[in-house]
Parts: sequence; structure tokens; C-alpha cells
Amino acid sequence: MTREQRRNFFKGMAFLTPWLVGFAVFTAIPIGLSFYYSFCDFALTAPRRAPLWIGLDNYRQLIHDALFWKSLGNTLYYAAMALPAGMLVSLGLALILNANVRGQTVYRAIIFLPSLIPAIASAMLWLWMFNARLGLLNYLLGWIGLPGVNWLGEQWAMPSLALMSLWGVGNTVIIYLAGLQDVPRELLEAAEIDGAGPLRRLVSVTLPILTPVIFFNLIMAIIGTFSILTVPYIMTQGGPNNATYFYTFFNYDQAFKFLHMGYASAIAWIQLAITLVLTGTAFWSAKKWVHYG
Amino acid sequence: MMTAPATTRPLGNRWNAMMVHLGLICVCAGYLLPFIWMCSTSLKAVEQTTEIPPRFVPHPLRTDNYVKVFTHPSFHAVLFARNTLVIAIFTVLGTTLSSAIVAYGFARIPFHGRGILFGIMLATIMIPFPVTMVSVFRIFRWMDAHTARWFGPDNALQMLGTFKPLWLPAWFGSAFSIFLLRQFFMTLPKELSEAAKIDGCSEWGIFWRVILPLTKPVLAVVALFSFMNVWNDFLAPLVYIQRPEQYTLALGLEAFQNKVGGSEWNLLMAASIVVCLPTLILFFLAQRTFIEGIATTGGK
Amino acid sequence: MKFVKPVIFAMLAVVAGVFLILGSRQSASKAPPGFTVVEYWEKWVGPEAAQMQIIVDDFNKTVGRQKKIYVHFMSMTDIDQKTLMATAAGVPPDITGAWDNQIAQFAAIGAVEPMDDLAAAHGITADYYLPVFWNACHYNGHLYALVSTPGTVALIYNKRIFQQCAGQLRAAGLDPDRAPRTIDEFDRYAAVFDSKNPDGQIDRAGFCPVQGWYVPQESFWFGGNLFDPASDRLTLDSPATLHAFQWIQNFSKQLGQQSLMEFQFSLGNFDSPQNPFLVGKLVMQQQGPWMANYIAHLQPSLSEALCPKSEEWKLPDRTANYVWGVAPFPSAVPGQQDVSYNSFDALMIPTGARHKNEAFEFIAYVNRQDVAEKLNTMHSKNLQLRHASEAFLKHHPNPYIAIYQELAASPNAHSVPAIPIWTEVFKELTDAGQAVSVEGVEPLVAVRQAQQRMQAQYDRFHRIETERQRLGIN
Repeated sequence: MTREQRRNFFKGMAFLTPWLVGFAVFTAIPIGLSFYYSFCDFALTAPRRAPLWIGLDNYRQLIHDALFWKSLGNTLYYAAMALPAGMLVSLGLALILNANVRGQTVYRAIIFLPSLIPAIASAMLWLWMFNARLGLLNYLLGWIGLPGVNWLGEQWAMPSLALMSLWGVGNTVIIYLAGLQDVPRELLEAAEIDGAGPLRRLVSVTLPILTPVIFFNLIMAIIGTFSILTVPYIMTQGGPNNATYFYTFFNYDQAFKFLHMGYASAIAWIQLAITLVLTGTAFWSAKKWVHYG
Repeated sequence: MMTAPATTRPLGNRWNAMMVHLGLICVCAGYLLPFIWMCSTSLKAVEQTTEIPPRFVPHPLRTDNYVKVFTHPSFHAVLFARNTLVIAIFTVLGTTLSSAIVAYGFARIPFHGRGILFGIMLATIMIPFPVTMVSVFRIFRWMDAHTARWFGPDNALQMLGTFKPLWLPAWFGSAFSIFLLRQFFMTLPKELSEAAKIDGCSEWGIFWRVILPLTKPVLAVVALFSFMNVWNDFLAPLVYIQRPEQYTLALGLEAFQNKVGGSEWNLLMAASIVVCLPTLILFFLAQRTFIEGIATTGGK
Repeated sequence: MKFVKPVIFAMLAVVAGVFLILGSRQSASKAPPGFTVVEYWEKWVGPEAAQMQIIVDDFNKTVGRQKKIYVHFMSMTDIDQKTLMATAAGVPPDITGAWDNQIAQFAAIGAVEPMDDLAAAHGITADYYLPVFWNACHYNGHLYALVSTPGTVALIYNKRIFQQCAGQLRAAGLDPDRAPRTIDEFDRYAAVFDSKNPDGQIDRAGFCPVQGWYVPQESFWFGGNLFDPASDRLTLDSPATLHAFQWIQNFSKQLGQQSLMEFQFSLGNFDSPQNPFLVGKLVMQQQGPWMANYIAHLQPSLSEALCPKSEEWKLPDRTANYVWGVAPFPSAVPGQQDVSYNSFDALMIPTGARHKNEAFEFIAYVNRQDVAEKLNTMHSKNLQLRHASEAFLKHHPNPYIAIYQELAASPNAHSVPAIPIWTEVFKELTDAGQAVSVEGVEPLVAVRQAQQRMQAQYDRFHRIETERQRLGIN
């Protein structure tokens, strides 16, 4: 390195210091510790129950734990519903909110509003709305003459949560809107002159340019789906009969309800592994369909 | 920068425009309905909340529900608001300051390994909270045990049992804010820094006196996002706060939910609205800055 | 117009400032200077919390003032989790008011302190307590908890509906003037009360076990034990437990699985005037003595058939004023009488509590004969002590309190099994109840699965325990 390069290196690292320290203390070390703990049994009730090395026992037990598979299955079931629906709805909304009609500021604000509400408030609101006897949804269904649905019953609880997630797409829509600004008007006009209808213009011009944004939102959505905890915690407590027992809920219970800290670390590590695999797959597939520039 | 929302070119005929309006109105009605329902329930008397069929316009209008929220035995609105504010202020200050400093390093100083470190920083966004939750808790506990040994229990450096675990990490940069600020810094022309350097300014000087003042709008966005995250956060307080007198508003709302059944839905909705109010007001005030803030930084 | 935004911002800032100042003043403590402050966290909210506050105030004015102790009472939700997390964080309360379900689990993971010496020093011994509660407060031979309020579970039934259906009952060979005495009789009574309305929906059910709170404990009324200390094995697939789950499934077979589900979600909340027992949708229930308070609060007319409650002392038989009756819940084992499940609210001292001795002063106070009687009269519960004064039994809000007290003293009184993974077994058995009732799973399959999973957990717990003992890492 030249002298200038070395000076820049130290200057750069100096500015990066807050992040470097934070990364070490709040990310790198905890992940390492968490890995170590996943091979231990301990309860954080020091001085009692100090970490005891038990090798692969936690992982062995996880494989035989029906709740592990159930919570994993639940999370994947939710992702299978909420991810595609969320992507479609948010993209669709962004497209329609991008149209040149008056009052777009108001419309956009309304769509964005639900994402401002604290998760706990919206969880309670929807708990109320989904109530089989007293809730708004069954009341509206009754108006049209359809029978009420047991929204939070065992069969429908997960789909209901996926439905509820569509209410909070505001964040994603805003990002799509920002991305849509980058679609050059000239290209669209040229396509129209060439005789392309609105659908063709969408598929051939807009979407390809939008692919980086779609990719970004996909990654965020995957991460979000696997981090979901507040809503089921408040609304259903994981029930009924574990129908909404998400993976993060399983982790939280084992850590803070039963104080099986080692077991919880193993659970968390598997979650990390799954998240890495999923985002890795997304990155790999990105080469096929994401067009930069 | 923008006075009207950027859109596609004007629609050809009025019929198209009307269809779009109709679609938008339907969708927005769907999105607004829960809000309206929330407000309606918040003004009902308890007996009316369990009425079948439920009605939209409460009669009588019980605005005293809002008074009851503030005098509820389990929901100490003023205390919880104060707690949330304390955490919010420290978090927002920490986030904006530290993220700006780190982002400057990533954006304006070319050095070896910068790209890799930036990639690692972005990757940390993907780490789910539960993975580090237990270990961070243990690290705090370890720190507390040691400071207690040297300075006695209840000393100023104690982490657990105070608000510090909630706002201290913010002082080390927030990945999302760093990202936003870095994107913005990269759009500023190099000539600015070079001119300042010729004038004999140190790197820190350039940062503090030249670049930062230009960043006010983006800083505002970062501050706003940061504030709203803290205001609405439920999980971190759930893990780190146990004593009722330290509850934040989000935690406090749980007090209205009677798990044995018979929740006071009207008070719950009223309290929820009270808790949402600051973020809603802030959003309406800063709406344009908000949306533009993400657009100008590219969002990619 | 340009000034609007800055003005609103300024107003927000002012409001924020006001909240900051007002809020900071609110959190000051009310303890007299120089007193040891004992932090007491309790699960109750509402009236029950207010009643415990009265006891706390009494303590602070008498024993507290004498010994310079001030008890700071805080009521909160999710007490078990909050206590565990606070203990893990190193900032636990001095007293935690959790449930009986937590005692073994907390003790097993070292989250609570033993109290043997303190109890002995205060004269609280096995002779003072009823055996069922005394044993349940122990784990591994040590005392880890004491009782604040017990709650014995018995059969509560709607006398009015019994009389309304007198003809049908007599036709079935049953006596409408008394409660069922065996499980077979009970099932036949319940069948008489089941009724559907014209479109096939259930209108009223005699009994609905999965609606109740004691699914994991049903086995006790069938002669089961859930845990055998001698062989140190769980017995979740014993014939008794199997019989209990078959019995649970019979109700959904009788009423129809789908109809039962719809019936269940049409029922009102426990703590509301639409409580299913109070509105006559469920005729018989397993419940505790606290029902007297809930009925008095939500549907007082059920306790005032002849005259207002304040006048009923003048009646020769107080119970005649009540439309509801209480009896021991029948047992399935021939000849076995007075079987009950005895739940209770426990007071424990978390590990790392700052003021253990002072905390115990309050716990001992709550267990003093007169104080325990006062608290349990307010809460409408029975007593954990062997001796109950005449005044307690006579002036209790629940006219049947003597029945509860006898049940708690009977040799067939059961309480929480001392299983360190009890909370997980509890969840497992509750899920099994749902499975056989709502999903139609075969009871044999359900209990075998529960036994297998829970025994595996229990064995694993033992393995780790032994390893810890061997290495001396406690």
C-alpha cells in the first residue's frame, strides 16, 4: 500500500469504529457464543445451571421434537401464502398508485398508514376484526349473505394472518414507487408508439427495469417472514392447538418461558442456516432474472 | 424537489382515469375500513362492543373512554409515554450520529476492504433477532456481574434492568440508516471534499462542516424512521423490560388484553389510537420528506 | 401557511417535554426512608389484585412498620415469563406470585430459592398445612414455595335446570334433587341436559370438558396419577389416563364434533355476563370456590333466589338462596370418594432476590391464620391450613365452602405433580385434549404419543442432571 492508501485505510477505519465495535459486541461475538451455547445446556440463573457441554444432544432432541417440525412447517406454510400474495399485491398497488390521476398523494398516504401502527395495536385491532361472533369481517360477510368464518380457528388462523399481512404492505409499496420513478418515460413512450399495449409495456419494459427492486423486496420479505413474532404472540399465542406456532415463537418459548438457553441457541442457529440458504438461493437465482443498469 | 408525485404520462381519456380512480377508491376503502372500525369501537360503551350485529356509529358517543385510558389502573399513559420518549430520544440521537459517521467512512474515503466490510454490514440486516437475542442478553449479564463486583450493585453501568439495552446498540450504527446515508453521500460531488482539503480541513472537519449540513433532509428521514421503529417496537422491550414502571407504550397496551377473556375492547382501541397518534402526526407533517427521502437515495 | 408545520412540531416537542417531566415524577417510590423495600410481583389484576393490596397495606402498617419492611405490590400479566426473564437478567423481584404449575419447573432450573429454614423459623411446618398443599410446595425434598390462595376444584351445577328437567331425569332413573355421585351417573345426567335447537345447533350442553380448565388433570378422577415417584416415570399412558381421554372424547362424539366446535366459539367469555354457566349454556362444570365471587359480580340474581344476599344469614339453610350447588366431582373408581384437584397460587422467592429474609416475613404473614382467612374470604377460596375457624366457614361468601375444605383434607386430594417439566406436560396434555375432542384422534394414540415425547424429555432432563452432579457444575 502506498502512504496515501495507508492513511486512507486508517481514516476509513476510524470513521467505521462505531460500527466495528458494535458489530463485534452485538453481532459477531453473540453469533459465535450462540454457536457454542447450542452445544450446551444452561439456564442463565447464575450461579446455578452454568453452561454444561452436552455435544450434539440439543440438535438430536430437536430432530425428535414434534414442536420443532410443527413450527417450521407453520412458518413455511405462512411464507408460501404471504410471500407471493404480498409481492403481487404490493407491486399491483404500486402500479396503480403510479398512474397519473389527481389525489395520488392522498391515496398513497392511505395505503402507507397501516405500516405506521405499532404491531401490537394492529394485532389487537385484527384480533377484534377476526372475532367469530363480534368481528367486522363476519359482519360484512353476513351482509352479503355468506356464513361467518372461524377466522382464528385452527383451520383458518394461518391464512388469516397471511391476509392480515397484506394490510401492512405500505412499506414495500413505497419502495416500488421509488423504483418506478426510474423507468424512463421515453422508453415507455417509444414502446407505445411501436404499438405495445399497456400489458405488453408492463411486462417488457417496466418489470425488467424493476427487477433489482423486486429482488430487494423479496429478500426483505423473506427476512420479515422468518422474524414474525409480535402478531401471533398477541393475537393467538401460537394457537389454537399450535396452528400459528411460528418458529420464532418456538425459539422465544424455549429461551424465555422454559429457560432452556442452550436448546434455544440451537433453534436460533438452525434459523440462521435456513435464512442463509433461502437468501443464498435468492441471490443465486438473481443472476437469471435481475437486470442491473 | 418534487411538487407533484412523479407518475406515468397523463392517461388518454377520462374513462381510463375514472376506472383508475374507482379502483383506488375501492382499495383505499378496504385499507381504511379497519381504521374506521378502530375509531368507532373506541367511542363505544363496553356493552355495545359485544353487540350482535355490531354497529358502526356508536350511540351514545363515549368520548370519556379516552379519559378512562389515561386514568386506567394498569395503563399509566403518562409514565409509559415518558419511558418510550426517553428510549426514543437516546436511540434517535445515537442512530443519526453514529450512522452518519460510519456512512461517511463507507462513502467518502476510498480504502482497502471497504467493499467487503460494506457487504458484511448489509448482510447483518439478514440476521434475525432471535439468533443474537440470548447471547446479547448473556453478554449484558456478564457485564453487569463484573461491574457489580467492582462498583457494587445498582451502579450506573448496569445494563439489565435499565433502558440501556434498548438504546445503546443504536449508538453503534444501524445498518439500514448507514445504507441510506451512504447512498446519499455518494451522490455529493467529490469537488466539495477536495476544495475543503485544499483549505486545510481534516477529514473530520470535512465531515462535520461541509458534508453534514448538506445532509439535513436525509438525516431527518433517518431520524424519523428511527423514531417510529422505537415507538412501535414491542419485542425488544418484551425481552429487556420486566418492571411495570419501566414499560413502554407498546408493552403497556398488552395490559388491556385480558387473556382470561372479557377484554375491554373499547378502551383497548382508544388506547391504541392514543399510542398511534404521534407517529401518525409526524408522518403527515413529514410525508413528502419521507417518500422523497427513499426515492432520492435510490432504494436499491 | 408556512408557519403551520414548525408550530405543530413545536407543540409536539412541548407535549413530549410535559410527558417527560410528569412521567419522571410518577415513578418515585412511596416507601418510608430507611425501610427495606420488598418487591412483590403478582399475577392478579382487577378486584383480586385490589384485595391483595389490602393485605399488603395491612402488613405495611403492622409487621412492616415494626421490622422496617415496606412491601411494594405490583400486578402484571405473564408473571411466569416475566419472573424468569428478570431472574435471568439478574434483577428479579423479591417475591413472585406465580402459579402452582411453576414450582417444580422453577426449582429444577434453579430459578427460586429454598425456604426450609425460614419456614421452620416461623413455625410453618407440615402440621400447620394440609398435606396436599404442603407436598406440592416441595421439590426434591426442599420447600420452594408457600401458598397465598388455594383453589380446590369440585362440581358446580345449576339446580334450577336440574329442577326444570326433573321429569326427564326421573324417567332416566336419576334424582333431580342431588348431584351425580359416580362418573357413569354423571354421563347420564349430562346426556339429559344436552339439547339442540331446531336447526341442529347445540343450544345447551350438560358438560363440556374441553371448555374447562382442567383437561390435563382429569386423570385424577379416574384413579390416575400422571407420575409415579417410585419408578420415576411419567404415567401419561396409564389405563386411568386413557380412560379419562376416552371420557373426554365421548362428549364430542355425543354432541357431534362439528356442532361442538361451533357451540364452543359461540360461548361468551368467563369473566363476562355471558359466562356459559351463568347463562345456562353449560349445566355442570369443574370449578373452584371463587365462582361465588364471579357469580355475585356478574349475575347476582343466581345467588338471591329467596332474598338479597345480605339477608340470607336469617335463612335456616343458606344454600336455599342459591340457584347453583356444589358437590365433590364424581370419581370413576368404584368406592373412591372425595377426589379433587387442588390448585393454588404460590409465593416464591427468585434466585438472586435482594431481600430474601424480609420477603419471607411477608410470605409468613400471608400464611398467618387470621390473615389467610381474611384473604381467602375476600377471594372466596378455601384454606391451605389444617384448621379453619368457625367464623371463616360460617361467613364465607361461598355457602359450600365446607365441602371444599373437606375435599382438600381428604386422602384423595391431588395437586400438581412434582415434575420438573410439568409446564411442558401440561401443554402436551392440553393439546392431547384438543386432539381427541376436536380432531377425533384415537385416545390411545394421543396418550401414547404424549407419554413418549414427555418421557423422552424427562429422561433427557435426568441425564443432564446426573452429568451436572457428576461434574459438580450446579
